[in-house]
Amino acid sequence: MTRCLDEAKLQSYFDGELSLDMMESITSHLASCVTCAAAARELEEESALVMAALAAEFETSVPTESLRQRIDAAVLGERLAVAEATQKTTGLAAFFSGLLNFGTQRSLGYASLAVVIALAAILAVVKLRSTPQELAVKNPEQGKTPIVVESPSPEKGSNPAATGPVAVVEPQKTTENPNGTKPRYQPVNFTANAAPKATPVPVKLFPGERSYLQTIAKLDSTIKSGKKGMRPALQVEYERNLAVVDRAIAATRNAAKSNPNDPDAADFMFAAYQSKVDLLNTIADARLGGGRGH
Amino acid sequence: MKLFAVCAVAGLILSLAGATLAHDDKTKTQPGEKVERSLPVDVEAVVTLCVASGTLKVRGWDKNEVRVRSLDATQIDFRRIDKTKDTSKPASRVDVMVLNKETSTNPRIDCQAIADVEMEVPSGATVQVQTRDGDIAIAGVAGAYAGSQNGDITIERATKLVEAGSVGGSILLKDSSGRVNLSSAGGGVEVMNVRASTDEDTFEVGTVSGDIQLERVSNAKVTAKTVNGTVTMSGPLAKSGSYGFTNMAGDIVLAMPHDASFQLNAKVSEKHDIVSDFALKYLSDATPPPPPPGVLKPKSPEMKSKSPEMKSKSPEDKSKAPTKVTPAPKPMPAPKAGPVIAPITVEKSSMPGHYVLRRVTAICGSGDATISIASFGGTVRLKKI
Repeated sequence: MTRCLDEAKLQSYFDGELSLDMMESITSHLASCVTCAAAARELEEESALVMAALAAEFETSVPTESLRQRIDAAVLGERLAVAEATQKTTGLAAFFSGLLNFGTQRSLGYASLAVVIALAAILAVVKLRSTPQELAVKNPEQGKTPIVVESPSPEKGSNPAATGPVAVVEPQKTTENPNGTKPRYQPVNFTANAAPKATPVPVKLFPGERSYLQTIAKLDSTIKSGKKGMRPALQVEYERNLAVVDRAIAATRNAAKSNPNDPDAADFMFAAYQSKVDLLNTIADARLGGGRGH
Repeated sequence: MKLFAVCAVAGLILSLAGATLAHDDKTKTQPGEKVERSLPVDVEAVVTLCVASGTLKVRGWDKNEVRVRSLDATQIDFRRIDKTKDTSKPASRVDVMVLNKETSTNPRIDCQAIADVEMEVPSGATVQVQTRDGDIAIAGVAGAYAGSQNGDITIERATKLVEAGSVGGSILLKDSSGRVNLSSAGGGVEVMNVRASTDEDTFEVGTVSGDIQLERVSNAKVTAKTVNGTVTMSGPLAKSGSYGFTNMAGDIVLAMPHDASFQLNAKVSEKHDIVSDFALKYLSDATPPPPPPGVLKPKSPEMKSKSPEMKSKSPEDKSKAPTKVTPAPKPMPAPKAGPVIAPITVEKSSMPGHYVLRRVTAICGSGDATISIASFGGTVRLKKI
C-alpha cells in the first residue's frame, strides 16, 4: 500500500471493521508513512475524546440478548393466546351454526325476539339523546355557581391595586353553550401554566368601597351612553384627569391594604374615590349639556 | 317656444321671491349688527344666561333692569319664569334666550347659540351663566353661578355666594364675600381677598390636577382638596377658623403671619417632611392608632423595632407605649418650655416600599384656629410672612 489512507478507511481501521489482510496492510503502511501516521494519531485522539465524553452514556444498560429473548418470548406467548382465542371462536361458531339450524317454530320465536331487541335499541337511543337537556332542567342552579377567586392576601405580596385601577368583577359563571344548555363537565387544562390567562381576579373590597364603585360604574355608563360623542377637548381633559385620579386610587388603595387597621389610610382611599366621583359628575354634566339647571 | 318662455318667467319670479325673503332675514340679523334687549326686573332677580359657545360678560349695575346685547346673536328673548304670573310687576326670575342663525328656526333648542354676549343685571341679582367653549367674566353681583367646560372663569365683587366649575379652564375669584364653592378638574384655582358675609359662609375649593392658590381668605371654614395639585394659602387665619387641606400628591404650603395661633392636625406620608417656621408644641394626647397586624407582629421583635407606625416625639407618649413608639432622633423639650421644632424629622421606616402614615398633633400659640392637613404624598410647609 503506497497511497495515503483516507479518513473513512482509517476510521474503519480503528473501529475494527476491516478484514484481517486489510488490517495488516494498513498497519504496515502506518509504520512507514509519516503523514498517515499523523492522521491516525489525530483520529485516535478525537475518538478518545468522544469516548470520554460519552462514557456515562456507554455505561448505562442497553438491551441485551436476554432482553431480546424476553421480548421474543412475550411475542410468542401473545401469538399462542391469539391462537387459543381463534380456536374458541371456532367452537362458538359451531354452537351458533347449531342454533341457526332451526325449524319454523323456532324461526318465529327468533323473529319476535329480534323485534323486541330493535325496539329496546330505539328507546335507548332516544333516551341517551335527551339526557343532557334533562340534566340541565333538573339542575338549573348548577351553572350559576359563582367561581370567585380570592386575591392573595397582602402578606403574600399581592398588590393588585398598584397595577392599575380597581375593577369590579362580577362572579364568573360556568360556560354555557350557545343554545343555553350547560355542559356536564368543564375542560381542564393540564399544561404547566394552568392559571387562567385573561380571567379578571376580583379584589377584596374594603367596607364601603363597593358603594363608591357602583356609583362610579353608573356615572361611567351615563357618560358613555350619551348620544353625542364627547368633544375632543373635553375628552382629552377627561382622560388626563381620570388617569390622575386612578393613579391616586391605586396608590391609596395599596396603602390602605397594607395598613388594614388604620382608618386614616382608608380615608385617603375614599377621598380619592370621591375625587373620581366628583370628576365623573362634572363630566356627565358637561356631556349632557348642563342646561340652565331649573 | 311659448312653453320655454312661461318656464323662464316662472323661474324668474321664484328667484326674486327667494331673494326678497333672504333680504328680509338680513335686515333682521345683519352680521356685525348689535342685538340688544332689556327687561325690568326685581332688584334681587335671578337671571340665567346659557350659550353653547362664546364669551359671556356679566356686570352688576344700579338699575333694576336686565340688558343683554350681542353682536353674534340674531335674536334675544326673555322668558319669565316667575312663580307669580303677574306680568305687570318686574320679573323675579328670567331666562335670557340667545338665538342665532342655527337656532332661530327652532327656539326650543336652548343653550345652543354660538355668540358672545354682554349682560347687565341689578347688583343685587343672582346670575347663572353657562358656556361650553368660552370665557366667563362676572363682576358686581350678589350671587354668581358659572360653568364652562374649557373656558376660564373670572368673578369679582360678588357679595353673597359664588359657585363656579370648569373642566379644563382656570378660575379666578377676587374681592368677594359670602359662601364660595369652586371646582376645576384640570385648571388652577386662584382666590384673592375673600371673606364671609355670614358666620355660616363656607369656602370650598377642589381640583384634580390644578393648583390651588388662596390669598387672604378669611372665611371661618376653609376646605381645599386636590388630587395632584399644590395647595398654597397665604394670609391671616380667622380666629376659631377651621382649615382643611387634603391632597394625594403635591405640596401644601401655608404662609401665615408670625403671630398666627393655630393647632395643627396633620396626617402625612412618612416619606415627606413637615417643615415649619413656627414654634410648634406637641400635644400630649396624640396617640397612635393600633398597629396593622400584617406589619407589626408581636412575636417578631425585629418587626417591632421596625414598626412603621407613627412615632410621637412626646416623652409622655414614649412612656405610655414604649414598645410601639420609636424614640425620636432629637429629644424634645417639655411642652411648657415652648420649644421650636423646625423642621420635624421622623425616623424613616426600614421597610422599603411600604407606605407609612404618620400623625402630628401640635399647637402654635394659643391654638385659636384649627388646621387639618391630610397629605398622602407631599411635603407640608408652614411659613412665616
